[in-house]
Amino acid sequence: MVQDSRRSRRRIVLAVLTLLALVSVFVVRLVDIQVVRADALNAESKDRRSIAVTTYGARGDIVDTNGVVLADSVERYDITASPRNSVPKGGFFWIKVDGERVKATRDEVIQKLADVTGESFTDIKASLDKDPESDFAYVSKKATLDVRTAVRALGIPWVTTQTHPDRAYPLGSVAGNLVGFMGADGPQAGLELSANSCVGSTNGTETFERSADFVRLPGSTVTTKPVVNGGTLKLTIDSDFQWAVQQEIADAVQKYQAEWGTAIVVRVSDGHIMAAADAPTVDPNDVNAAGSIYDLGSRLFSTPYEPGSTFKTMTAAMLIDAGKITPTTHVTAPSVLNVNGGSIRDVFSHGTAQWTTTGVLSNSSNIGMSILSEKLSAEKRQAYMKKFGVGEKTAVKFGGESSAPMSDAKNWDPITEKAVSFGQGVLATGAQVAGIYQTLGNGGVRMPLTLVEGCEMPDGTITDLPSTDGERVVSEKAASETVDMLENVVTQGPLSSKLTIPGYNIAAKSGTAQVALPDGSGYGNDRVVSVAGLISGDNPQYAVVVTLVKPKIDKTSGAAAPTFTKIMSQIIKTFRVTPSTSAVPTIPIIW
Amino acid sequence: MSTNLAITLPARSPRREEPQRRIEIVSTRSQRRARPKPLYAIIVVSGLFAVFIIQLLLSIVVSDGAYSISKLQQQQADLTRSAQDLTEQVDVLGSTQNLATQAESLGMVLSSTTPAFLDLATGEVVGKSKPAEGDAAGAMGGDGSLVPNSLLGGEETADPTATVDPAAGASDGLTPVEGGGDAAVENATGGIETGAPAGDATGSGVASTNTLPTPITG
Repeated sequence: MVQDSRRSRRRIVLAVLTLLALVSVFVVRLVDIQVVRADALNAESKDRRSIAVTTYGARGDIVDTNGVVLADSVERYDITASPRNSVPKGGFFWIKVDGERVKATRDEVIQKLADVTGESFTDIKASLDKDPESDFAYVSKKATLDVRTAVRALGIPWVTTQTHPDRAYPLGSVAGNLVGFMGADGPQAGLELSANSCVGSTNGTETFERSADFVRLPGSTVTTKPVVNGGTLKLTIDSDFQWAVQQEIADAVQKYQAEWGTAIVVRVSDGHIMAAADAPTVDPNDVNAAGSIYDLGSRLFSTPYEPGSTFKTMTAAMLIDAGKITPTTHVTAPSVLNVNGGSIRDVFSHGTAQWTTTGVLSNSSNIGMSILSEKLSAEKRQAYMKKFGVGEKTAVKFGGESSAPMSDAKNWDPITEKAVSFGQGVLATGAQVAGIYQTLGNGGVRMPLTLVEGCEMPDGTITDLPSTDGERVVSEKAASETVDMLENVVTQGPLSSKLTIPGYNIAAKSGTAQVALPDGSGYGNDRVVSVAGLISGDNPQYAVVVTLVKPKIDKTSGAAAPTFTKIMSQIIKTFRVTPSTSAVPTIPIIW
Repeated sequence: MSTNLAITLPARSPRREEPQRRIEIVSTRSQRRARPKPLYAIIVVSGLFAVFIIQLLLSIVVSDGAYSISKLQQQQADLTRSAQDLTEQVDVLGSTQNLATQAESLGMVLSSTTPAFLDLATGEVVGKSKPAEGDAAGAMGGDGSLVPNSLLGGEETADPTATVDPAAGASDGLTPVEGGGDAAVENATGGIETGAPAGDATGSGVASTNTLPTPITG
């Protein structure tokens, strides 16, 4: 009995020990797999059990005020091949031609690929032969859907297609200067760059497990990084109208052999830009075709110039607002005005002339304006100019925009102090000049110049709403009297025949500015010719500024006038501006 | 596990008295009732089998579904792709440059500079309309498109021979461009006069169209 119990106890001990040993072996193995080699094993298994794919976020559209698409996200396809597998083991591949399986040698397959992709046979072959052991080579980049479909129909086992998100600009260079374009590394210019926070998207990733034949297993999809689509950026411009304006300014640049030209149309009531045209300009679909790097942006915002006589309007408005002059103030203008340090002349020679303020404007007399400007100190005039927006960036904050900084009035020499009143010795961009005329057309209240109406995010929220806070620059009376004078410039000035549109009281001021020589030694023969104005004088609705820089054929503002009038006509048609109901209030120009 | 079943018989009494009398323990009624019945076992086992089979069928259906999902997703992706492709083509064909080129190739010309307006509220014509001149520049001002669009490449222009014949246009009831301006204004005015009472009667019938005058011609 004693022996029996001892034997059984030994057996129990043995069994327990064996069990413990087994358990400890399992524990060690478990720790080894789960902790020690976990990373390596996970990495090894990852590709076998699940695959990760990039999900592409769609970059937002850029549309005009009517919703016409100016920039659009599209899909293109990269056709890729595996050179390693492109050498047939049996001497030929089975591919599909017109839905039927046929035998094809390697060269025949490459020829088929060349036929459908439009690439050359030698290029494809070179790409495949570059590294025969590689698993990846490009056959064609950014192919269209048709090419992709045709390639896939061939059923070549070692050729695959990959999505390549791209950007298309259906209207080509219509508003190309504003919209900008994308490069290989993202947005490069224009609103594509400056409004990237609105239209930009973020690609996501997701993983899923797949079966042996590459079918996604249900319920295995895990979004590791969500896709963020871009918002829709809505501009204030009207694309058809923008086209018409671009067509006119391009025509003028070509006709007068100007270096470049710009035209801008602003709705005076809210400062919204209806069209902002540059010539030459860029087709965002084909950036390389642009002639110069300056054609890629918008010179309206980026390139300041001495505006010339279109500034006289602003000077007159500030003098009236300050109570120093009226439209009929008498001015006696000598043939030459000698100023300490030089002399000021007019474009045309005249004896001593007796002009009213209106006469000074319609004859565009530098001498007359200089005499009038003496009534207000340079500092006060500069303060007015700043309120008109000169010397600071517009509210558009366009990419690469220049503020056209002014030197302090205290540092103006006697000539500059006079010259600023007629737009020489001071810089302004086309957009800033448009801002001045918008202010006068809007009863003296400057509205922030606006190019973007808003950004609609994918969740429906609207951001980037433009500011609607206006700033009073001059009194309503000063503004309307100034506009009345500009109407008389059209009816009584030398460009009357070119600027008149029957039935409409056009208010306009021409400008023929000298261009400073690059070495700073004075002014050369080149001119910046421009016309700025409002339609219509009795009920201003739109401000227009047309500028031609360094025209070779006609170096007077007469070169810009026909374009100005054509754009005005287009405004009448597009925005249905009805004819003026009252006659132009005639103001005497001489006394 | 405890049980009330008699698994082992009670030990025999050490004393052997009257071996011919055997005593058996008779199960009580409750004990008999508590005995396992084969029916239950069959139900449980077949239930288990049923579960296994349903699970198998379900997984077949699910994996079958995976294939149809995959196929449908592929189809959806293909359709989305072609929809995008077609939208892209429509946008390009609808581009201003293309429309202007097509219009010009059909013989359309730029309108005169000052259109006339028809005020729908009063039926009054504002401004003077002028017909386009016979030698007027084309829809693009005679210089062709100066605003390039590289996407257009070699798009076909509309066939001008199809519609340019003015006689054919007139007989189709289309208003010929030459000399038709004033006539068109009168016709339009007449049309509004007959239409006006209806608008007045309802009060707001034409109110929404009063805000923008419509250009008539020119």
